[in-house]
Amino acid sequence: MHFAKHTLAIVAATTACSFTPAMAQDSTTIPVVIKATTASYWQAVFDGAQHAADKLGIQIEELGPANETQVAEQIGIMENLTSRTPPAIVLAPVSNDALAGPVESATAAGIPVIIIDSGVDTDQYASLIATDNFAAGQRAGHALATCMERTQGEAAGQVAYLRANPNGESLVSRDEGFLDAISQYPDIEVVDNRVANNDTAKAMNDTLDLLNRYPDLNGVFADNQLMGDGAGTAFAEQGVGDDVCLVAFDSSELEVDFLRQGVIDSLVVQDPYMMGYAGIWFAHAAQEGVALPRSVDTGVHVADTETVDQPEFSGLLDPDQRKLTPYLGTSADLQE
Amino acid sequence: MATHDSDLSTGRAMSQSASTWLSLNRRHLPVETLVLALTLSLWVVMAFSTPNFLTANNIINILRQVSIDSIIAFGVLFPILIRGIDLSVGSVVALSGVVCATLLTMGMPIPIAIGLTLLLGIAIGSLNAFSVHRLGIPAFIITLAGLQAYRGGAFLVSGGTSVFGLPQELASFARAEWLGIPSLFWTMLVIGLILHFILSRTRTGRYMVAMGSNYESARRAGINIKRIVFFAYIISSVTACIAGILLMSRMSIGSPTAAVAYELNAIAAAVVGGASLFGGRGSVLGTFIGALLFATIANSANLLGIDSFWQMVATGVLIAVVVYVDNLHKRRQSGLK
Repeated sequence: MHFAKHTLAIVAATTACSFTPAMAQDSTTIPVVIKATTASYWQAVFDGAQHAADKLGIQIEELGPANETQVAEQIGIMENLTSRTPPAIVLAPVSNDALAGPVESATAAGIPVIIIDSGVDTDQYASLIATDNFAAGQRAGHALATCMERTQGEAAGQVAYLRANPNGESLVSRDEGFLDAISQYPDIEVVDNRVANNDTAKAMNDTLDLLNRYPDLNGVFADNQLMGDGAGTAFAEQGVGDDVCLVAFDSSELEVDFLRQGVIDSLVVQDPYMMGYAGIWFAHAAQEGVALPRSVDTGVHVADTETVDQPEFSGLLDPDQRKLTPYLGTSADLQE
Repeated sequence: MATHDSDLSTGRAMSQSASTWLSLNRRHLPVETLVLALTLSLWVVMAFSTPNFLTANNIINILRQVSIDSIIAFGVLFPILIRGIDLSVGSVVALSGVVCATLLTMGMPIPIAIGLTLLLGIAIGSLNAFSVHRLGIPAFIITLAGLQAYRGGAFLVSGGTSVFGLPQELASFARAEWLGIPSLFWTMLVIGLILHFILSRTRTGRYMVAMGSNYESARRAGINIKRIVFFAYIISSVTACIAGILLMSRMSIGSPTAAVAYELNAIAAAVVGGASLFGGRGSVLGTFIGALLFATIANSANLLGIDSFWQMVATGVLIAVVVYVDNLHKRRQSGLK
């Protein structure tokens, strides 16, 4: 389904990343540079961006490295774009410090840069549209505590968390938010964390080893989609029952399936579609000289095994079902 | 300062006596034994360091973790034996997982989907062998090209995201245990035994070693070089495809990002297990022990809560040390001659 649409971006990302793909570029094509062409989360960003572009009658160009750990590749993409001077750039920076320079260069070249998803260590950008990841991490922490309370009567015991990539600002803030929330529960102890390098198989092995090392473990938090896939698979493989809670981020098909089965207890879902959609609107506006708000929080929602099939979540859990209108009429209901 | 010096000299004396001992017992002490000793001592240390290591559950975890890595490493051993290399296996693992998953989600029966995926492995292996043997492209280059191309293929086939919705039987297979041993490990054992038999008991196996040791004399002796080259690269790609199907079954998704850099782990396992990158030397058993050592290190780091980054450093240092000690003792041995 995404086949033809994403072919160019994927080929660009996987072959060399440093060359400029030969695409029709005119003054109405806005490049969208995401973190990893290989996670469904980022496909949702592209979907939102594409829908916005359709409405505006402009084109987008889908770019990005294959994996979020490929910092140099994304810097290369930004350098090439800057020398090409597109009307604006929508960027989800893989690293807050490493991408600061390229963002400043693009801005200095007169290209408005809309940052989406993750912050960057510079103020030389047009606007930031992202999840407040610290707050989102807090939601995950509270969701884990709530689950522990439900399954064992009190929010107490040992928890551990899986980190996808200690180099990304959004993930670091998320982990900090998680720890901040957990620190509000004096009886919950964070016993360990593992860095699984955004590799699902490693996340799975690390989770198995965590379950083994801490036989009394009560909760695991997986800080992105690939970590959630791996941790969920490990839970399913070990037949871990209700006595260990699992809270993960985002919503791959596998994660949502695990949520339905009760393997994953809660998913903290962001709104990547909205980031792409708003990113393109803002980029278009910026290029017209419109002054933009400094930052916009796209919010998070917590879906659990009971609420997963509520219609409000369908568009968030599966971008294919997302309606063209960006604003959910029921968004107030979703804030719990 | 004095302590430092004496430490150094003790260390030197120890390493000298160790290597003398090694070279005296050359026939009985190949590098496999050294690595096996290292792995076993790590197991003993771990057994005393944490009560969670020597538990049935953890052993089963290690067996699961080592199985897929070993299968890839067994395959890679074959091109290495004939003085080649196969850098494409990690990408072939991802591509085969994605292709098989896609065929399955299209409703194809499991045996046919697996059969077609293995055919893909034969095709990739043949292409590598053809490029090396007929076109004269260095194995390093053609399989490096494959590393890029097959990964790209995996993204194209999957549309960039994981292929989800596999039949339940597949996930159940990877989770099954027979006689208390994971099915993945049994699969690895069967493949390992077949490859070990081929290598040690068949003419093809002996020819491979001969060809890796001395290409010219092997050719003059009338060995069918073409057949051997095709055989080695097809084994490598097909085992990578089997590993890809197993990994897909274990993760219950076909993931285009799976197995990044696994070719390097596989080569490292083969080399630490006694294979020479200059061909003509290496064994299936040694390769398994190499893979087991790496799996034990990863597992130990997790159980002891050692920083994931130190685990990478330790693995790297270990590869260097083992190969150095092996070289040292080979050099001494040739000096003795």
